[in-house]
Amino acid sequence: MVTASPPVGAGLLLDLVENVSRVATGRTASVDFGTCDREAALELISAWCLSSGNEIVSMVGSAITVLHGRSPDPLAGLDPGQLPGSRVWVYTNFDCNLACDYCCVRSSPKAERRAIGMDRVRQIAHEAADADVKELILTGGEPFLLNDLDELVNACTNKLPTTLLTNGMLFHGRRRERLRRMDRSQLVLQISLDSATSEIHDSHRGSGSWARAVAGIQIAHDEGFRVKVAATLPADQMHELAPFHAFLDTLGILRDDQVIRALAHRGVAESGIELTVDSLIPEVTITADGVYWHPVAADHDDQFVTENIFPLADAIAEVTRRFIAHRRSANAISEWFPCA
Amino acid sequence: MSAPLIIGSVAYSPNVVPIWEGMRDYFAETSTPIDFMLFSNYASLVDSLITGTIDLAWNTNLAWVRTVAQTDGACRALASRDTDLVFQTVFVARAGSGFTGLESLRGRRLALGSRDSAQAAILPVHFLREAGIGETDVDLTRINSDVGKHGDTGRSELDALRAVLEDRADAAAIGINTWQAIGRGELLPGAFESFWISPEYSHCTFTAMPSLTIDRSDEWVANLFAMDWENLEHQRILEMEGLRAWVSPKLDGYASLIAAVREQKVSDRW
Repeated sequence: MVTASPPVGAGLLLDLVENVSRVATGRTASVDFGTCDREAALELISAWCLSSGNEIVSMVGSAITVLHGRSPDPLAGLDPGQLPGSRVWVYTNFDCNLACDYCCVRSSPKAERRAIGMDRVRQIAHEAADADVKELILTGGEPFLLNDLDELVNACTNKLPTTLLTNGMLFHGRRRERLRRMDRSQLVLQISLDSATSEIHDSHRGSGSWARAVAGIQIAHDEGFRVKVAATLPADQMHELAPFHAFLDTLGILRDDQVIRALAHRGVAESGIELTVDSLIPEVTITADGVYWHPVAADHDDQFVTENIFPLADAIAEVTRRFIAHRRSANAISEWFPCA
Repeated sequence: MSAPLIIGSVAYSPNVVPIWEGMRDYFAETSTPIDFMLFSNYASLVDSLITGTIDLAWNTNLAWVRTVAQTDGACRALASRDTDLVFQTVFVARAGSGFTGLESLRGRRLALGSRDSAQAAILPVHFLREAGIGETDVDLTRINSDVGKHGDTGRSELDALRAVLEDRADAAAIGINTWQAIGRGELLPGAFESFWISPEYSHCTFTAMPSLTIDRSDEWVANLFAMDWENLEHQRILEMEGLRAWVSPKLDGYASLIAAVREQKVSDRW
């Protein structure tokens, strides 16, 4: 009888089949390829996973961990509007006429403008439409400080429904003329207002800002625009919303257009909820510096994704790829530490 | 709403719990709700079926044959997986070993799975006998690493393959499911190759006693057959259990095992 040394990997394959069969679908099992050739072992296990419907989770040293079954689609549970790239945020500029004490991107009159510029906005709008983006959201800074804002907005609304975030305080003179040149059928104005009375709002945003914002809402309505109102509130004030909603009702803001968001511990905010890449569903955000994970951290390196804005579809794909990786990693962590 | 039918199954794999929880959830939405009981081995499962502790048993082929024997044929098979109707035994050797068929096994060492594994022990001996090769003509190595599970996990079959790799055997007899699980010799072309594949035979089947009325079992089977691979929630369960569709059992597919049990004087009980 002819005998030969066992083919490299045959025992590994049997160990793999047995180890994976011993754990339930959705759990992981590891196999150690010892001194076998690393690439050959990985190639064998990858091929086995492909043919058997399992998935490699990690490779540490000579141990390869395999998920029994395929991991669920990390995007499957999301509302379609939450899928990365379903809407794209664009920071038009970072300077602002206000210096709010909780601004997540440190905007103020002293902040450098860092304008995105007409050419890039036009290309973003063009590529967004092709990339199946459903909505563009323009924010700052205060966008109405820009002299070409009407052109920027129209470049967007020519392609997609657009929301423009503003503090609503600058709808006068030439800026009101620019507002009038915007497309009411495609544009929603989202004006910031934090409280039903001036005290809280002004304490964060500056004296007199509440009255001017309320006036701005009226002007926007008079000009025929749909207006959303967005309030930024500390967590301890989130339970006192009824008077605020009632006040917004009197301003003619539809309930669906009354947006309450929690204060984030970002930018110049001294407190607020902690938002990290791990805890945030991404919203593709573009600034003059590149692509960020989420608008709340568009001035923070930890959520910087890439300096390459274009092709926009690639930027969206990169954010999506990272999101899937984060979700899978989170699942793996919960697998490794089931009691934690 | 009638009381749930109690279905018994052997806990041969960690997936058994999610499978049966999924089945229970599925049947909760039907006219025939179920609950399930898990057993450590098929002897206890069949005993519990016969004594009426459970209404249905998810039997392997040997458990079915033994239930038939113990009930003088009074039990009935209700449904199987599509994959149960085309089960096969595969004789495997190291690639290049020169085996050309069962005849090549004369005087060689053959590793078998657990002694109560239909596909990896009882039927291989039967197929050898049909080929004119008696148990004394082959050096049989029985690897009883999962007795009581009827070879369900395939652990003993993997051990039989290890015996081949480690030169403790020249060939191994395993189930087609284990052969598929290791990639049918295609993932590592230099490792294993099959040299004989048996005719198809039947494997698992849901088994009921006469105490379960025909009307009730028919209603349950109709609900079982309504599970749809295209329904992703159903598919999750079906995939874990290793089928794409539930089908009617093929009783003549048990003929080879019935003959093998008779020839080898395999006990009706454990």
